[in-house]
Amino acid sequence: MSEIEIGRLLRSGTTGFVVGCKVNQLNAPSFGAMVRVPLEQNYEVYGLIYDIHIEDDGLVRQLITAEDVPEEVLRDNRENRNVPVEIGVLALGYTHGEGVFHLLPPRPPLSLDAIYLCSPGEVANFTGKGFGYFRQILRDRDKPLEELLAAHLRQARGAQVDVGNEGWFEDAVKELITLMRDDYQALINILSAVSEI
Amino acid sequence: MLNPERNHVENEMSVQNMPMKNEEQKPIGYIVGGGLKANLQARLTVPAQTVQEGAFVVVESGNWLFYGLVTDLQLGSTDPRFADEQTEDRLPSHLAKLLHGQTLFTNLEVMAALMMEQGPDPLAEPEAYNEWFQKVLDEQIRPEPVKTVPQHHAEVRLARAGDIAEIFGKEGERSFFRIGDTIEGGHPVCVDLDKLVQRSSGIFGATGTGKSFLTRVILAGLIKRDKTAVLIFDMHNEYGPDDTASDTGMRVPGLKGKFPSKVRMVGLGRGATIRGKSPDYTLEIAESDIKPEDVMMLAQELNLRETTPTTLEALRASFHEAWFHEFKHMRTNAYNFDEEGKRYPAPDSVEAWANEAGVHPGAAEALHSKLRRLFNAPYIVEQPAANALQQMIDNLDNGQHVVLSFGKHETDLDYLFVSNLLTRRIRDVWEHRTNNFRSGHQGASEPRPLVIVVEEAHKLLNREMASQTTFSTIAREMRKYYVTLLVIDQRPSQIYDEVMSQLGTRITGWLGDSDDIQSVLTGLAGRDALRGMLAHLQPKEEVLMLGWGVPMPIVVHSRRYDEVFWEELLGDKCRRSSEEILDELGF
Repeated sequence: MSEIEIGRLLRSGTTGFVVGCKVNQLNAPSFGAMVRVPLEQNYEVYGLIYDIHIEDDGLVRQLITAEDVPEEVLRDNRENRNVPVEIGVLALGYTHGEGVFHLLPPRPPLSLDAIYLCSPGEVANFTGKGFGYFRQILRDRDKPLEELLAAHLRQARGAQVDVGNEGWFEDAVKELITLMRDDYQALINILSAVSEI
Repeated sequence: MLNPERNHVENEMSVQNMPMKNEEQKPIGYIVGGGLKANLQARLTVPAQTVQEGAFVVVESGNWLFYGLVTDLQLGSTDPRFADEQTEDRLPSHLAKLLHGQTLFTNLEVMAALMMEQGPDPLAEPEAYNEWFQKVLDEQIRPEPVKTVPQHHAEVRLARAGDIAEIFGKEGERSFFRIGDTIEGGHPVCVDLDKLVQRSSGIFGATGTGKSFLTRVILAGLIKRDKTAVLIFDMHNEYGPDDTASDTGMRVPGLKGKFPSKVRMVGLGRGATIRGKSPDYTLEIAESDIKPEDVMMLAQELNLRETTPTTLEALRASFHEAWFHEFKHMRTNAYNFDEEGKRYPAPDSVEAWANEAGVHPGAAEALHSKLRRLFNAPYIVEQPAANALQQMIDNLDNGQHVVLSFGKHETDLDYLFVSNLLTRRIRDVWEHRTNNFRSGHQGASEPRPLVIVVEEAHKLLNREMASQTTFSTIAREMRKYYVTLLVIDQRPSQIYDEVMSQLGTRITGWLGDSDDIQSVLTGLAGRDALRGMLAHLQPKEEVLMLGWGVPMPIVVHSRRYDEVFWEELLGDKCRRSSEEILDELGF
């Protein structure tokens, strides 16, 4: 089980949540990576990072407009920020014991719950039970779906190949085509993005 | 309840006779729509090239099997843009392939023709299977016309050899005779020879499509079967003697050579030879056998006038049976002069007879002139040397088959005149015998069924002639008098519709003319679907079988008429030495 903590929960809802993290934790998470949030009673909520957001604060604004700011000051303000880096996560489903459910979690995680990056084994386990979780990804067309799917498929393909499931990627693309074939332009955009990986 | 021994026997039989459940045949698609009036639509799950128009497919739906023909293949897409855009240029090949697999497809149009209840699995439910199979043996369960539709997503597969045998019969059993193989899979397709001859049938196809070869194959089957007498009017001398194929130059064995004791070759006219060989005997027509109707039938050929029937009737009234002989020997433009030098018609002249009979002399003279072609026919004689006609009838009665070769008398006039006259006479004999048999006359046996093979049938069965010739009567009355026709023609559109609609079985090769195609399909269900199939047949060796005599239409790669065919048909017999053949003939 991966124990790479990337931050703690800032706010959450049924369909997703926002994680706050320190700048020195920012090396681990990446766009499209899968994360998990352990809850009580053996539940774990799984999600997909769709946004990494760095808010400004008043001091940063002053520093940008100031002249001749020493390098140490800049580094200090970058690393010891008052406002955390915000990571947007899309809820994909949850596990309960051995069971994997591609459904929205029964309740969202609570504030300050720790968020962990999924290990390849966890990714393979969650994505190896069919493609029901594509529903959650494709629901919100405001998100950069093409890029998100391409990043996710890249990560998941690696994890599946590690466990010997060579055909997973092809099956995933077929499923996407089936789900999106009524929207020609969106599907072609997705496939164009996927062709980059 | 069946006893175990019987069960065992039936299971053995079932392995041989019934569709093999474990025979390899993967699904090629699934049903997505359609109905009874429109054809069924199936989504193809294999490359389109693996299925062709005319393929025999089976739809498995629940406990029923539906048998049908592929009548069309249509390209489709979930969105027209997937078809319009060449996405293979924009996407890597593996993604493009996946995209095309999900968004571009081929739909099959299947004309369902028959359905049959499927038996239970013999391994899982042996008792239920035996019960079902007993019903099949007892013919309680038979393929029946389609009265319902398969379920959505029912699997479609190409027919197995067992499916074909179930519908068309198994070669060698009863009267089933292999006429060719299916296009896909090459499974044997049989025709029921006994059923084929129960009604008149037709073999059609443009020139060079293998009509004559297919006819030879069927005739060989009928002669081997030996339940039906066959009389062939061999206009072009190609069925009896050995021949050379016009396209390949290969030697083509004739029926006489292969069935020396069964086939009688008859030549037309004294001293006739057929391809340099003497026939078994020759046929001459007695002048007294010719009736005015026989001449009327030649009205078009001889360009006879409207006055002809009156003149002929007067001739018959004057001379009865000898009318032809008397008329032939009358002189034209023959005059005598009286003492006063006045001209009057000679007593043996046409004009003298016309005046006496009250017929217009000009009309009689014209008729005499037009009948000159018949008067000069060497095969029409006053007293034939032998009663060849009776001999032909005896041959046909005694289990032999007759090929009447026209030899050098190949004109339409010879063909129309002789074939119609003989057919009329033979049919009269058969009609008489049938009536005797039906009315229970003592000693009257059931007449042997007779098939008369007519080439260039449109000359005898066209709209103008159909009402006058015996052939159309035979075609219409089916097997009432045990005589049916096997019509061979390349222009079926020239044959009278009413006759065409009476043809039970139609076997047709490629036809180019839309009228001919339309005509072959006269009176059949599913004409629209079959029309395209007929137009797309291979120009050689592919035929469409359809009509009453076959359970459902099917495209067949017709059997080749070669040494292999004869070996299969006759076994070692075809390799017999000439001594053995002579021995069989009693020499």
